[in-house]
Amino acid sequence: MDIQFLVSLALIGLTFGLYIWIAIYNKAKATSDFYVAGRGVPPVFNGMAIGADWMSAASFIGMAGTIMILGYDGLAYIMGWSGGYLLLTFLLAPQLRKYGRYTVPEFIGDRYKSDTARLIAAVATIIISFTYSIGQLSGSGVVIGRLLEVDAAVGTLIGVVLIAFYSAFGGMKGITWTQVAQYIILIIAYLIPVIFMALQLTQNPLPWISYGEIISELGELDRELGISEYLVPFTEATKWQFLALMFTLMAGTAGLPHVIVRFYTVSTMKAARWSGAWALLFIGLLYLSAPAYAAFSRFILMTKVAGSAINDLPAWTTAWVDTGRLSVADKNGDGVLQWAEIVISKDIVVMATPEIANLGIFVIGLMAAGAMAAALSTAGGLMIAISAALSHDIYFRTINPNASEKKRLAVGRWSIVIATVIAGLTALNPPGAITQIVAWAFALASGSFFPALLLGVWWKRANGPGAIAGMVVGLTVTLGYIFAAKYGGFTILGIIDTGAGVFGAASAILANVIVSLATKAPSQEIQDEIVDLRYPEQMTYKDGEVWMNE
Amino acid sequence: MKKVEKHVADGYFRARIIATVIYLFFWFIVSYGVVLFAEPLSNYTINGIPFHYFMGAQGSVLTFILLLFVNAIVSDKIDQKYGIDEKQNEAISAGHTVDH
Repeated sequence: MDIQFLVSLALIGLTFGLYIWIAIYNKAKATSDFYVAGRGVPPVFNGMAIGADWMSAASFIGMAGTIMILGYDGLAYIMGWSGGYLLLTFLLAPQLRKYGRYTVPEFIGDRYKSDTARLIAAVATIIISFTYSIGQLSGSGVVIGRLLEVDAAVGTLIGVVLIAFYSAFGGMKGITWTQVAQYIILIIAYLIPVIFMALQLTQNPLPWISYGEIISELGELDRELGISEYLVPFTEATKWQFLALMFTLMAGTAGLPHVIVRFYTVSTMKAARWSGAWALLFIGLLYLSAPAYAAFSRFILMTKVAGSAINDLPAWTTAWVDTGRLSVADKNGDGVLQWAEIVISKDIVVMATPEIANLGIFVIGLMAAGAMAAALSTAGGLMIAISAALSHDIYFRTINPNASEKKRLAVGRWSIVIATVIAGLTALNPPGAITQIVAWAFALASGSFFPALLLGVWWKRANGPGAIAGMVVGLTVTLGYIFAAKYGGFTILGIIDTGAGVFGAASAILANVIVSLATKAPSQEIQDEIVDLRYPEQMTYKDGEVWMNE
Repeated sequence: MKKVEKHVADGYFRARIIATVIYLFFWFIVSYGVVLFAEPLSNYTINGIPFHYFMGAQGSVLTFILLLFVNAIVSDKIDQKYGIDEKQNEAISAGHTVDH
């Protein structure tokens, strides 16, 4: 038991205690607390909660590494995952907020007057959120496991118990305020190392400004070595794949139920617009820093590690070689490690930074707490989305509409606990298929939810049969293209499985429009409700006239 | 309840739509537009970073954040111009919401 272990343990224990205290303090007393936090969350705090909900263990640990390894082509993730918030905030969130329901499937069901559409949406929510949460839980297991030096399985179980406790207890209300705390912890943990690294490499404490000079030097180094992958575009895939992936990530972002439901927790359309703005500002702090991490790490690897004698590598490399995430082999046997002889896993870029920059034990412990915060906050948001789909859309709206408030809260709590435990057990030994589905979550969301929500909000003529056709066709085309591209070698313009959402979304919109036009128009009442979404709460649209509430 | 003249109500919606279309135009240019012309744009540099890379890593995200705040502020101004009172919105929204 060394000092590092005690410091990491203390920091993680301290943050866990904080999350539990927040959950107890914010116990959900009514279903509106449990599903939408009583709809009174101030926009700035909702922005932080969205940020924590959004940024997963994978973003925290892996995004900088993805950019380092893919170079320019990795930036599709940065642009896609941030640009989606514009689609969401301009086109969907305020309108969905005015419509005022508890969940995304419930909006789809009520807007399209179709129980079938609601059930399809509920099942899609459960599948997408469940697979996504498994990645979070196994990620948290790896972090706890490595830093507390216990087995990753024990780490996963610790995470499961914690999430099950605080999300079942506080519901959306508890999760909201724990996410605010988790955002603050994760962003501090992310920024401190990169700021110190900027100081060491460039003598400038602002990595966002100073990594430009590192980028130019990287360009020089690449040219000397005769490689050009870092800055040159479209080396990994075609330009069309870049564009298709970017679209898929944007439309998927705008359609993921666990993110949309966060906009239900504020009071008005105006608050929803401000939430979106604050959210992207808070997310941007991490996204703008990830390319700086990538550039600094690559620079250090190219200048301090590559070119060293194989027996004289910096001490921190040994620990990472042992984990299998870094491979240094003197393949040509000249006693010197060349750049081409280094193989790096994307996961080590952020986690190894404190050691590379020699930042000491406190920062390493903070990193662990930050990575845990990222994993727990996303998992909590996903669990409440699953629980809401099960207990509200399926149990209350379909099976037992007469259930009492008390009974519904109990069903909500138990469905969170059960979903978390099942996800945790699956995460102990995740089937290979799960990792694949996580990579496809955005394609699936952009082929199902995004078109149904977009047309539902903006086109009053869209009806139930159209929505069902749209979701079924969208999911079929998305999955069909994914399998054809991944296993059949069939591609259009070089677009591979991860860009499939562009075809899914296009075919879903087409199917929804064609079937809607071929079938009966929705009732006047529903059409009026849709036109009503154009106006703020104070204005009401009815029978072709707008009324102002004074 | 007071009736709102049709041209006033339409004017409100049109103002919001025009603003949204303008934002989405810039959204498209800084992301898809720059990617489409990445090769020719890579000859220019900003802060030592080739332009296409700068836009992907920083320029686009900063533009997105800016657009979201401009939208929030301009929408508030439009609401104000049409006499919308946020306190009223909150009261109505709390009552209108289906909290079942």
